[in-house]
Amino acid sequence: MKQLGEALARREDDRLLRGGARYMADLEFPGLLDAVVLRSPFARARINCVDAAEALKVDGVIAVMTATDLEYVEKAITRQFYTLPAVFVERHEVFLGPYREPVLADRQVNRVGEPVALLIASSRGLAEDSAELVDIDYDPLDPIIDPFAAMQPGAALVLDDVERNVQSSFRITVGDPASEMEAAHGRVGGRFRIGRAVGSPIETRGVVAIPPTDVEPLTVWSSTQLPHLLRAYLAEFLRRDESAIRVVAPDMGGSFGGGIYPEELLIAWTALRLDRPVRWLEDRRENLGSARHSRDQVIDAELAYDASGRFRALSMQIVQDCGAANAFGLTLPFNVASHARGQFAIDHFEGTGLCVLTNKARVTPVRGAGRPEATFVLDRLVDMAATDLGMDPAEVRMINLIPAGDMPRDMGMLYRDGNPMVYDSGDFPDQLRVAIDASGYKRKRRKQACPRRDGLLPGVGISSHVEATGLGPHETARLEIDSEGSVILTCGSNPHGQSHATTLAQVAGEILEFPYDRIVTRFGDTGLLARGGGTFGSRSAVTAGTAVWRASLKLRETLVHLAADLLECDAADLTLEGGRVHPRGAPGAGLSFREVARAAGSRSPGTGSETSLSAYDEFVPPAVTFGSGTHVASVLVDPETGTVKVVDYLVVDDCGTILNPMVVDGQQHGGVVHGIGNALFEEAVFDEAGQLLSGTFLDYLLPTAADVPDISVVHRSHPTPLNPPGIKGAGEGSTASAPGAIANAIVDALRPVPVEINEVPITPQRLLELIDEATRDLAAPGVRRA
Amino acid sequence: MSELLRIALTVNGREVSVRVEPRQTLAGMLRDQLKLTGTNLGCEHGVCGACTVLVDGRTARSCLMFAVQAEARSVMTVEALALESGELHPIQQAFADHHALQCGYCTPGFLLTVLEYSGERPEADPDGVRQRLSGNLCRCTGYHNVVAAVMDLIERDEPV
Repeated sequence: MKQLGEALARREDDRLLRGGARYMADLEFPGLLDAVVLRSPFARARINCVDAAEALKVDGVIAVMTATDLEYVEKAITRQFYTLPAVFVERHEVFLGPYREPVLADRQVNRVGEPVALLIASSRGLAEDSAELVDIDYDPLDPIIDPFAAMQPGAALVLDDVERNVQSSFRITVGDPASEMEAAHGRVGGRFRIGRAVGSPIETRGVVAIPPTDVEPLTVWSSTQLPHLLRAYLAEFLRRDESAIRVVAPDMGGSFGGGIYPEELLIAWTALRLDRPVRWLEDRRENLGSARHSRDQVIDAELAYDASGRFRALSMQIVQDCGAANAFGLTLPFNVASHARGQFAIDHFEGTGLCVLTNKARVTPVRGAGRPEATFVLDRLVDMAATDLGMDPAEVRMINLIPAGDMPRDMGMLYRDGNPMVYDSGDFPDQLRVAIDASGYKRKRRKQACPRRDGLLPGVGISSHVEATGLGPHETARLEIDSEGSVILTCGSNPHGQSHATTLAQVAGEILEFPYDRIVTRFGDTGLLARGGGTFGSRSAVTAGTAVWRASLKLRETLVHLAADLLECDAADLTLEGGRVHPRGAPGAGLSFREVARAAGSRSPGTGSETSLSAYDEFVPPAVTFGSGTHVASVLVDPETGTVKVVDYLVVDDCGTILNPMVVDGQQHGGVVHGIGNALFEEAVFDEAGQLLSGTFLDYLLPTAADVPDISVVHRSHPTPLNPPGIKGAGEGSTASAPGAIANAIVDALRPVPVEINEVPITPQRLLELIDEATRDLAAPGVRRA
Repeated sequence: MSELLRIALTVNGREVSVRVEPRQTLAGMLRDQLKLTGTNLGCEHGVCGACTVLVDGRTARSCLMFAVQAEARSVMTVEALALESGELHPIQQAFADHHALQCGYCTPGFLLTVLEYSGERPEADPDGVRQRLSGNLCRCTGYHNVVAAVMDLIERDEPV
């Protein structure tokens, strides 16, 4: 039965549809205590004292933990998420300063929401009530809010040992961008801003820690994307061996980026201190204010082109507002710089990045992670160039795309894994042609000539992106057949909606000729696999998919050889089918998986034959593989109210070999709508005091069903040579193009009023301001349509 | 902590009597006392719709309603949606058929919103469907397949 590449039904659904999922808040443990985190109300302040005496008098309040209680453990998280190879550091002039994030604030707080104390009580309600009785005395200090002011000489410092508040920086130079800029026929550019955004899974974070017993290690349940990495951080913090810690990720209600959080360490430590199971469940206000944010970049960019419209050089100077601690080093601005040229042949490039600390919520890679920012800026520059050249944006795009014949193409710089950054596969011109045809681009252009009766202005915008996917360092999988004949798949990458139990089982099922829906799947438990990577950076299909692929092949080989021994025939004559190994053309003559497994198990060890049907694989990707996509957005703009309606949306996607097209389409839909949120609705807003003004879902607007259109997805697959199945990531790229496609569509809709959009989200208020400004600037009145 | 109050109500067709704090929410009572954890809490301020249940046949945000307000009323949660035969309800089946769920956290709320909606025998109008679903937030699916599932249900016009 063909399984790989088929739109097979999800195995996850039945349980989820019946309300049978087990998310963090659903887990029950005897004697569980509830913790609440007491958080700083100030963006920057000294802590004079914490007085918990009144709270501790309340019946049912067990303890209040503060920084002074943190004994025999590390006081702060200092391990950065990535290590950077020396060759990368040298080539791209990387500076990487210290990262330090207190587990509980000691003497000073650096952001609103920073954990100052932890109160543990017999119930969550009692804990929340009692938290009000804890008296924390602060001396507020002037906060550092603007990243540009933060870099000025003499500015106050967020961390004493991070000079000018620049925690990390880099410079990438490809070719001779300065000379090319100077000599160019024309240039477009400006300052672009990408607003702060929050990942906003519908389930908030949560942690439960169970103290060790004589037979069980310390067990930490967390809604984490990174169970094995969390175990490593816990081991470092608690000064214990990793083998003494088990991390389990249960069902998760989405997760779009995050990293390792102090709360995860705190709850584990508290459970050990109290020798009681302890739980922390985040609420939405905490999530919007204290889970890590993303985006929040200012990018000064310039694109140079010759008289025929060919791009000569590009520069992007990126300033990343990191908030109060930067666990991810230069990841976000580097992702901008490495994706800045998108699908275009631009031989001369300069990209610089500055990661600046401020007294705001921390940032982290969230769905897209730098690619939406890079793509938005590039898309706008391309459209601005088209306007200057008097060409249609589609035409300018087409003449500048990297031809398919140039693949693979070395982009002249290193990726952050230290490998040369090479676009490995794809056909960008084909993608654009398909997008133009499938979206009815030309028809839409013609229709724009006829004004609508309702006064709404139609516009169409194009975006194209690339996305480096499948980042290492490794991913693991084990395939085994137990003595009952069950096929069991265990993987180091855990899902939070991405359908691992379906797609990875399809990979194994295809190779083992076994129905995917009968394969037992296990994820998210460090007790099951010694090593594992996680789910981030559009990597799971690529890395876990390949690990499962290779482990399945190994298992198949073992299975066939064992069966050949038992059947006394040549392994080459055997085939697999529906849980049986049999000689080709003689299904009745074979053995079931169960029979082979039992025969293997009964052999004596040391006889040179396999005694168990188990295969393990650890896939270390040779380099990242580039997925890509071209999007066309159509909008209607109301010039009187500034509102924008996205009326239709087309995605042409290349994620290489597709495991399950239904699942890939679902990832595309979700990614696009996340990008529409970033383009039009979502912004985490801080005031001058560093207070978050968008702390509820009434202020931080996620797109609703009524705000977004149907999304058509067309696949144009070019498998990568970088892994045997040919898979490229599909989870995040779709977020990258939505802001640029929509911004370009809005600019297009408003022509001839020369509105320039250089900031997202494009809220109605901002758009009205831009329209007014552009209308005022026009010499002749009355050009405004509508 | 205040005194516990005893309330009687019908939950998923069965009469139940529970003791709750006056401040206990309906969601809290369903999840903590009755162990019906299919009702998920997303924002606890009435915006995301994840905790949507039916109270006397009408959708309600169980995070914004006190348990005591459900006294003598009939509450339905996702756990009661499947058919007595054990098969999925047509709405659940349509969600599965159209890949209208990913992480599944918002799904119980959507299912009950759609149950109320489909009972009104609406017209097959995608914009109308989108408006009606706009009180339930989903971060995974982009709504495309949720709308497709609901349109399919409406177009098939099977009484549900």
